[in-house]
Amino acid sequence: MKFAIAVFSSPDQPSNRRALRFAEALLAAGHTLERLFFYQAGVHSASAHVVSPQDELDLPKAWLQLIQQHQLDAVVCIAAALKRGQLNAEEAQRYARSGHSIDAPWELSGLGQLHEAAQSADRLICFAGP
Amino acid sequence: MSTTLHILSHSPFSDLRLSSCLRVLNADDALLLCGDAVLALQADTAHSAALELMPDSIGLFVLAEDLAARSFIDTVPARIRIVDYQAFVDLTLAFDKVNSWT
Repeated sequence: MKFAIAVFSSPDQPSNRRALRFAEALLAAGHTLERLFFYQAGVHSASAHVVSPQDELDLPKAWLQLIQQHQLDAVVCIAAALKRGQLNAEEAQRYARSGHSIDAPWELSGLGQLHEAAQSADRLICFAGP
Repeated sequence: MSTTLHILSHSPFSDLRLSSCLRVLNADDALLLCGDAVLALQADTAHSAALELMPDSIGLFVLAEDLAARSFIDTVPARIRIVDYQAFVDLTLAFDKVNSWT
């Protein structure tokens, strides 16, 4: 079956970790993960600037590894990311900011990508809140 | 009628999501408690009593990891089924729709 996952919470929320564990479980069961969409505070999952304490799960790193390992389509809402200071090189140049925090394979794009994923997947599972 | 799996993660002691959810559950829907929503299983509370009074046709589930993190494993009512992430994935496919109470 085809899944899409939307993550609305930042990596310091338990729901962000549940989204990761759910994604791992569905892939392990042989299902397809059509798209990961990161919205609202979920955009921080894509930041290469997050430094996690040594005794805590490094969620941005774990997401990146899962995305690379399974070559997943990982989309970050561009408007939600920009207003939270999470930019890729292209946006940093566009808005004359001194650095960027998001690199490939993460992709900055619009909310239409969430809509499209909701249409094409059998299930859209949302993770938000605590 | 299509069936829905409802997913709650907020504590029932901080807002009205659980009570609102219990009101809108249809006969063949199900509820999965994760995160702080697991606190609804605390023994001798109005929330655990409300869950136990739900019709038998409504499936009640709790995420094992979040249950273990709160040491409630011994007080879980018999009708509540404990699921791991693999079973969580299967649950989302066993119902027509999945609704996260975000």
